[in-house]
Amino acid sequence: MMQIYKIDGINVQVICCPPEDINKGDYVLVEDLATSKALVIQVVNSGYVNVPGILEDILRASSTEKVEGVDLDPLEMRSFVNIIKDAELLTCKIRGAIEKGKLSNDVNWIPSRSTSRLKKLPDEDLIKLAGIGGEEAVDIGVSKGGGKVSINISSIDGKMNIITGKKETGKSHLSKLLLLRLVSRGGICIVFDVNGEYVNLGYTKGERKTAIHDKFIPLTPGKDFKISLQYAGPGVLLRIMESVLDLPATSAWEFRRIWNELRAKGALRLEYMRAAIRAVSNNYIQDALLRRFESLISTNFFTDDVEKATTLDKVLEKVSRGGAIIINLQNMTSKFRQIVVEFMLSKLSQLLEDWFLRAIFLFAEEAHLYVRETYWDDIVTRMRHLGVFTTFITNQPDSISESVYRQADNIFLFNFTNEHDLEIVSKASRVDVETVNVIARQLPLHHCLMLGKVLNDFPMIVRIDSLDEETMGETRLFFANPKQK
Amino acid sequence: MEILDLSQKAPVDFIRLGSVSLKDVADLSLRPKCVDLQKAGFEEFRYADEEGFIAEIGKQHPDPIRLTPTNEAIQVLALDTSSIELGETDAGLLCAVRGTVVQKDREGYRYTRYGPFIFHITEANKEYLYNGLRQIYFGTNDASPTPNVLWMPGRIRNVLERWLQGQLSQACEDSIILWDGSLTAWTIDSPVALIGELLRAARSGGNVVLAISKKTRFTLSGQRVADLIDDRDAPCLLDLDETIRREYGSYLCFFGRVYAAKFIPSCFSFRLDIDRKVSEEAGIDAVQKLIGNDLVVESYPETLRLAHILSKFSASEVIGMQRLVTENYDIRVVSRPDVRQVLFGPYGGGRSSSVGGEELL
Repeated sequence: MMQIYKIDGINVQVICCPPEDINKGDYVLVEDLATSKALVIQVVNSGYVNVPGILEDILRASSTEKVEGVDLDPLEMRSFVNIIKDAELLTCKIRGAIEKGKLSNDVNWIPSRSTSRLKKLPDEDLIKLAGIGGEEAVDIGVSKGGGKVSINISSIDGKMNIITGKKETGKSHLSKLLLLRLVSRGGICIVFDVNGEYVNLGYTKGERKTAIHDKFIPLTPGKDFKISLQYAGPGVLLRIMESVLDLPATSAWEFRRIWNELRAKGALRLEYMRAAIRAVSNNYIQDALLRRFESLISTNFFTDDVEKATTLDKVLEKVSRGGAIIINLQNMTSKFRQIVVEFMLSKLSQLLEDWFLRAIFLFAEEAHLYVRETYWDDIVTRMRHLGVFTTFITNQPDSISESVYRQADNIFLFNFTNEHDLEIVSKASRVDVETVNVIARQLPLHHCLMLGKVLNDFPMIVRIDSLDEETMGETRLFFANPKQK
Repeated sequence: MEILDLSQKAPVDFIRLGSVSLKDVADLSLRPKCVDLQKAGFEEFRYADEEGFIAEIGKQHPDPIRLTPTNEAIQVLALDTSSIELGETDAGLLCAVRGTVVQKDREGYRYTRYGPFIFHITEANKEYLYNGLRQIYFGTNDASPTPNVLWMPGRIRNVLERWLQGQLSQACEDSIILWDGSLTAWTIDSPVALIGELLRAARSGGNVVLAISKKTRFTLSGQRVADLIDDRDAPCLLDLDETIRREYGSYLCFFGRVYAAKFIPSCFSFRLDIDRKVSEEAGIDAVQKLIGNDLVVESYPETLRLAHILSKFSASEVIGMQRLVTENYDIRVVSRPDVRQVLFGPYGGGRSSSVGGEELL
C-alpha cells in the first residue's frame, strides 16, 4: 500500500508499506478521488522509512547476534514487524497531471493525503497517456516494465540531442539505432565517425548487405573523398587556414589576393597556387602561407584531378531519399580531422543557405576532438536554424559546452558514476539534479535514461533494442578469441 | 550438564485467553499509542515501593564478603518479562506481554522467547482474564480483586513471569536461576505461598535462586551503599539482611537474604537476594559460581541482561503489533490527539516524537 507522506514543490515522498514492486524510474499515479484529478509522479530514489526505534532494534540484534534461540511467536508478529522495518520511502518528482482523462501541465494543486489512492502506472499506460510515439513512431527499446518504447521521429527532427554515458555502456549503439531509424524514414544524415564504427552499417553481422545498404555512403577523406580547390572555394579555405591552421590576418589577405588572381587566370590548381605563394615578395608572409598550404596538401584531401574530386552536392544527391554519409575520421591527425569537419560544416551551411538541402541530421561522436570551441555556439544557434540537427555522442560530458546542455532538447543518459560528470549533465534544462544523480548511477548496461521532448518530458529508463546491423562498437581486446579480427 | 529444551512448553492459555479477548475488538476504534519507549511500560510499578530502602546501620559498617569466582561449570538461567500498551480502544486497552528465558552453559548462550501475547482488556473482561490466568498458572481458586484496567498489563505480565519461574524451577537441576527483581513477597503479584512454592521447587532440584534488582537503592545512614563498598574489595557482597529486616520485616516477607553486590570495581552495585532456605555458604558459593561462569558486564550478569534485552519491546515491534491487530481483528485506527500538545503546544515539555530529526509516522 502506498500513501503520500510529504509534498514540497514538485517533490513527493511516498510511504510504501508493505513494500511493493516499485523501483527507481517507475511511475505512480496519485488519484485524488475528491477532485477526480490525478498526479503523475516518478520515483527517483528509494530508501527505508525512518521507523521509530529502528536503531534500537539494530543495536539489540547486534547485542544478541551470537545468541541462538527459539521464538514461540503464536501470532507470528515477526512477519508484521518485518513489514514495518522494510517499509520504503519513495522520493518522487511530479511529472504531470491528469484532468478529465487528459494530460495536463497544471500541477499547482496537491492531492489529499488521507483519501488519495496511489497505484503503479504501468509503462504502457504512461506511454499511451503521454502520447509518446504516435503515427511516426519508431521502435527504440523496451521499458524496465517490459513495455515497448517507440518515439515519434519528429521529436528528433529540428532538435538537438546529447547521448552520453561512461565507456562501454551503449552510447554508440543507440546513436546507430537512431541513425538507422532516421535513414529508414527518409532522413538525410551525416556522421563524423571518429572510430570507424559506422562504416559497416550497411551490412548485417553476418557480413551480408542489408536492405538499406545503398543508403550508407562511407567516405574516407584523403582516400575516396577528395575535393578540388574550386569546389572548396576561398571562403571555406580561408576559414580552414585561419581557424584550424592559425593563419595571421595579413597572410590571409595575401592568400585572398593570390586566389583572385589565379581564378581570373582560370588557373586554380594546386601547383599554380604553390608557385604563386613562392612568388610572394614578403618572406614572412610567403613562409606563413607556404607552410599552411603544404599542410593542406599533405592531407591528400585536395586534388586537381577532376575524376577523383568529389562534391558534397553530388554525394548528398545519392541520399536525397534518405541515407547517411559516414565521414570516416579514424586514424587521422587532429589537424586533418579539424580540416575535414571545418570543410563539411562550412559547406553544409552554404548548401542549407542556398536551400540545396532542407535539413540534415548530424551525428558527432566525441565532437571535442574536431570541433573548435568557438563553433559550439554556432552549432546550437545559427546552424540549428539553418537546419543542422545535431546529436552529440560523448563519454566526456565536460567536453561539451555548457550552452549545449542548456539548449539540448533530448538527453539520452547512460550509466555514469563520476560525480563531476553527473554534475555537468544535470545542468541540462530538461532534467532535475536528483533524477540524474540517483538514476544514472544505477543504470544497467544498454539501459538509458531518456529525457526530453522525445518522451514528452516523461523521463523513462529504456533498454535499447539490439541491432542486426554490424555496429563494430566492441572494444578490441588483447586476450580475445583468435577468430576476432 | 543436560541441555534444557524449554521450547516444548508454551503458555497455551495465554494464547487462548488473549484470542478470546481480541474477539471483542471488531468494529471498535483503536487509538494507537505513540511509540515512546523512553517512558517505561507498565512493569515499572512493581518495585515502586522498594525503590528507596533506607536503613540505619549505626556507625559500624558491615564488612564486605570477598568473592572468588569459581570456574566449576554450572548452568545459569535467567528470565525476564515485559509488557507494553499498544493503544486504547473504545472499551479498554490493548497490550502485549512477552517473556524470555536465557540459558548459559558450556555451549554458550541460548534463549527461548515466549510471545508476544496480545490482550484486549476492558472493565468487562479484566476479572475473567486475570482470575482465569491466576487460576490456571497459580493454581489458586480464590478470586482476587482486579486492579484498574491501566494496571492490568503489568498483572498479566506478572503471571507470565511467575509461570516461567515455575517452569524453570521444575525443569532445571543443579543450576543457578536468576530472577529479575527481589525475593520479597508483599503484593498481590507476589503472594507468600506462591513465592515460597517456586523457591521450594527450585531447591528440590538442587538449584539456587538469585534475584537481582536494578531498581532498589539502599541508603544506609544517609549514604549510598555503592559508596560504602571500596573498589578494592570487588567482587564482594555486603550483607544488609539484618538491617533491612529490622526496618521492613514487620510488613514485608523476605524470602531471600538481602545483599548489596558489586562484581566489578568502579561499577554499579545491585541488590542481590539469595534464597534464604539455602545455607549462607551455599548461597555465596552460588554467587561465586555465577561470576565464574557467566560474563559480568558493568557488574551485571550477561544472562540476565540478555533476558531483559530480548523481552523488551522495540518501537517497530509495537507498530508491527498494532498493524497485526488492525489487519487480523477488523479494528479501525483513529488518530489520537496528544492532549499535552493540544494544550501546551511546544511548551508541553514532552519528548517530541522524532528520530534523527525526522517526524515519526
